[in-house]
Amino acid sequence: MSEITDSNFDKTAVRDTAFRVRMRRFFGVLQRLTSNPTTVVGLVLIALMLAMAIFAPWITEANTPDAYQMPRDWGAVRKPPGTPGHWLGTTNEGGDVFYGVIWGSRTSLQLSLYVVGSTMVIGTIIGSVAGLVGGWVDEVLMRIVDVFLSIPELIFALAIAAVLGPSFTNIIIALAMVIWVKYARIMRAQVIQIKQNDYVDAARVIGDSKLNIYLKDILPNAVTPVTVQATLDMGNVVLIGATLSFIGLSEAGIAEWGVLVSEGQAGIASGRWWASTFPGLMIFLWALAFNLVGDGLRDALDPRIEGR
Amino acid sequence: MNASPKQETAPSEVLLSISDVQKYYPIREGALQRVAGHVRAVDGVSFDIRRGETVGLVGESGCGKTTLGRVVSGLTDATGGAVHYNLDGTLSQIDHLQDRQARQFRRNCQMVFQDSFASLNPRHLVIDIVGRPLRVYKEVSSGDLVERVVELLEQVGLGRQHLYRYPHQFSGGQRQRISIARALALNPEIIVLDEPTSALDVSVQAQILNLLNDLQAERNLAYLFVTHDLSVVRHMADRLVVMYLGKVCEAGETQSIFDAPHHPYTRALMAAKPDLDDDRTGEQVKGLDGIVPDPARPPQGCRFHTRCEMATPVCGWEVDDVVRWLEDEPGMFEHLSGVERQSEFNAELAFDSEEAAAKLSMAIRSESVPAAMKSALKRLNLKGHKVDIEFEAVDEVQLTARDGGRLASCVLDPAHVAEKSQ
Amino acid sequence: MLDATQASKNVASVRDLKVHFQSKRGVVHAVDGVSFDIRDGETLGLVGETGCGKSVTGRSFLRLLPVPPGILAGGVVSFRPHGPCAVCEGAGCADCTNTGRRASGDQPIDLLSISSENMRRIRGDRIAMIFQDPGKALNPTLTIGAQMSEVFLQHRSAELLERASLPPDTSGAVRRFAAQEPRFGDGLILKFPPKRGQRAKLQVALNQMVTEALAETQVPNPVKLMDRFPHELSGGMRQRVMIAQALACNPDLLIADEPTTALDVTVEARILELIRALQQRRKTSVLYISHDLSLVRRICDRVAVMYAGRIVEIGTTEDVFANPRHPYTRGLMAAVPTAGTARGKLAAIRGTVPELVDPPSACRFAGRCPYETAACRRNDPSLLPVAGDHSVACFIDHPTGSQVAPSFERVTE
Repeated sequence: MSEITDSNFDKTAVRDTAFRVRMRRFFGVLQRLTSNPTTVVGLVLIALMLAMAIFAPWITEANTPDAYQMPRDWGAVRKPPGTPGHWLGTTNEGGDVFYGVIWGSRTSLQLSLYVVGSTMVIGTIIGSVAGLVGGWVDEVLMRIVDVFLSIPELIFALAIAAVLGPSFTNIIIALAMVIWVKYARIMRAQVIQIKQNDYVDAARVIGDSKLNIYLKDILPNAVTPVTVQATLDMGNVVLIGATLSFIGLSEAGIAEWGVLVSEGQAGIASGRWWASTFPGLMIFLWALAFNLVGDGLRDALDPRIEGR
Repeated sequence: MNASPKQETAPSEVLLSISDVQKYYPIREGALQRVAGHVRAVDGVSFDIRRGETVGLVGESGCGKTTLGRVVSGLTDATGGAVHYNLDGTLSQIDHLQDRQARQFRRNCQMVFQDSFASLNPRHLVIDIVGRPLRVYKEVSSGDLVERVVELLEQVGLGRQHLYRYPHQFSGGQRQRISIARALALNPEIIVLDEPTSALDVSVQAQILNLLNDLQAERNLAYLFVTHDLSVVRHMADRLVVMYLGKVCEAGETQSIFDAPHHPYTRALMAAKPDLDDDRTGEQVKGLDGIVPDPARPPQGCRFHTRCEMATPVCGWEVDDVVRWLEDEPGMFEHLSGVERQSEFNAELAFDSEEAAAKLSMAIRSESVPAAMKSALKRLNLKGHKVDIEFEAVDEVQLTARDGGRLASCVLDPAHVAEKSQ
Repeated sequence: MLDATQASKNVASVRDLKVHFQSKRGVVHAVDGVSFDIRDGETLGLVGETGCGKSVTGRSFLRLLPVPPGILAGGVVSFRPHGPCAVCEGAGCADCTNTGRRASGDQPIDLLSISSENMRRIRGDRIAMIFQDPGKALNPTLTIGAQMSEVFLQHRSAELLERASLPPDTSGAVRRFAAQEPRFGDGLILKFPPKRGQRAKLQVALNQMVTEALAETQVPNPVKLMDRFPHELSGGMRQRVMIAQALACNPDLLIADEPTTALDVTVEARILELIRALQQRRKTSVLYISHDLSLVRRICDRVAVMYAGRIVEIGTTEDVFANPRHPYTRGLMAAVPTAGTARGKLAAIRGTVPELVDPPSACRFAGRCPYETAACRRNDPSLLPVAGDHSVACFIDHPTGSQVAPSFERVTE
């Protein structure tokens, strides 16, 4: 047989296993991700806020009976930051701002995970169906998507939340209903593009089932933009959610940053800035962190740079 | 001489029989997406592929060879005609096969694509790619998979050290080897190769072609070798099918076609790119004028008549030829206001002025129009600002059988075609 | 073919050109000491496989290399724009109409070191280039007429004005329009009647010039073609348009980078005929870059074979093809399937092209060469003459020290 010289392979290649090679590729991506300073800042922020959310019960004692309700200490109303026991001050009803900030990260995490998680799944399925099946199914689905996209996100979410009634769960539902279309669009475009590749044809010639082809060939190559969008949305969802809460479409009195900003807003005129500012700052940091990481992720996953 | 003769013994069995395959793509227009016509990518092609032989499918871009390759391998269904596969002795249509039989066809008919980079999933390792056919058909237990894949890799000139690598880490030639290894995994009887070496350097191409030949000899593989490169196909193929605009213009034994082509298009292909060994100098290069006609409206009679240098009056001259010729003549096309067709051969051309019409009727009789077209004119009447033309109606030129198993669709005498020497 | 008596003038000379590229793995020596001449009126073929550096060499004439990863690491590309015709001293005569001879200076310039302003003047005007994929080289949003007009407006505005028979005292605005250097307010000025009329005359003259240029490339209906967009044309047509655009200004040197690779064989043959005809009529020199040996053989007067960033063999086409001296050239020719090759026995060159990152000083073909000796792994052969115009870079023909040259009769497949 004709000979091939392996100048581009080192001798250790023989000891490689599939696992190790895949790990190496994954770490390659991670390394590219961390080589960008702004991305690192975002990652650090996310790590901190994640820690806040996870360790909340240990950082501040959970409120009873419902940890998500702001504790009301009528004896310590409107205290400024620096007050012992209430380092970031208290709200009008004696709620500890620090408590709100910490537990608010939990609610934000829940909010973003539920919303992004569900929309990613729904959007991916619908987008894939539209891209794979094509024809009138595609047309119908895409027109529905167009209708959703034609309404500005915020207004739409507002309308839905208003109809459903003020509650945290309803905010999740409202946001999910608005955002899924983005993923459907992205996924459809990816599927249509990837479908044309020869390797999909090759899989068909081998005789693999359509489902397998979708799972092994199409989906893995399509996830990159979806992942990037999901990361960005983790941040933006909290932003929009906070806006809805601010308007009053969420439950009153829960430990949620938007609600806190809303409730503390009246006091600003009287000089009590702390009840709104600290939660507001957290919203900003959360959205910023995910946006930074999302952008960094987009660059790191760029197939043109990948693996060279 | 060249190719070592293959199987001089009894003719081998037919593996695939392509009979009158058509593949039309609908052209949709308008808001309701009505079908306005069809692009006739493949328009009635028939030939057989026997066990162990290489059939070369040659033509330029737009001739339908790639589409035909895809129909043969089962990637697309034919819109007319059928591909028959030899299943345990009987020929059955591949789009009618069910379950077990369909799987058997799939396993026995594999494909290698042109773009080695696009035909390998960039996220899969070589073990995944080459091992996939084995996994799909549950050929081997997961323990044996690695060994089977290594065996396959070694057969194509790669090795164990390539198992856990991604496609982008290989060169074009190596990727093509991976593709070939994947195609071999299930021990197929026939492999469809769609321009497998067109994107490769000459020296790498030589390696791959040698590999393909070795594999064919070892495994008695049949190949359908689709390419536009005559020198490659001459080297590789036992028999040749030359396509133009969806139809076969010539088919037969490779060597005899190269010695004496019966169709002017085949002749043109050969003249356009002579052998490297040819000592003839630059003046001998001949190209073809004109462009490939629209496959949705193929020319009448012989599809090649619009570009053929040896066209005769019965080659299918039609109204469209006059319109095409008008388009190329400066100063005439702008004055054409309409064409009223009674048939492909009979129409009235309306001009915006009488003098333009008169100009046309004079020009058609002049030197700038091919003599064959002039002779085919049955009637040419000038009626004010309209010109009425009618050509002799001819049927589509069919493939006729010649000596030695040759087929060609040309009305000319083969001796005449051969005599037009360079 | 080339007239031997006028061989002494070179339109371009490359001496020790080095182009490197910065990459993650190090500095890639894509072109590493390339020297050759392009003689007046000849077609020089530059042949090689992927990665040999031929495209980079061609592009360095026009400095079309992306400079952050690319580094012009040395060498001189000297270009001698044509002087006036020897017969009439620039006055114009039957010999020199339609050739590139103009009243420009006869001094050679180093293309690698002139300013970008001067380079811009030369591009398209004195040196033109045509590319592989005509679809990508033409602007999809402009009609053919508009694109071609740009060339004339940029480089031949004086001639344009003359053709439009505009009086010498034409307002500056119109002149500036012709030269594509509009000043603020010109757009408004040109709308007024007397200027509008002049501008219309200019447009007519422009259309004429474009039509003539297109007609020269034998397109069927140039007037109609001008209103079409590139995507409406076939590959062959687009390539003709590109050729017309390139030759519009009568360049002294035309660089063709694989212009027919994307075309069908029959169309390719026509385009080659066209390039050959135009070249002979206008006495333009052509640097024809290709990987296709049979093609190069048919239209080039001389050919240079490149491998791994160096020229390994150069000579007249006849010499090189009849008597290839470098093992790589021989291997390449043997690898092309011809009528006489037995199946399965194509001569394949073993091994792969070496990585050009910090290459060691050894012959780059070592490790793949069937005639290798110990000297080949220690030293770099230089390009030295073998016979007349034919030069090779190989120790077989130019043994170092006391090496006995092995004969070529050994081995061949």
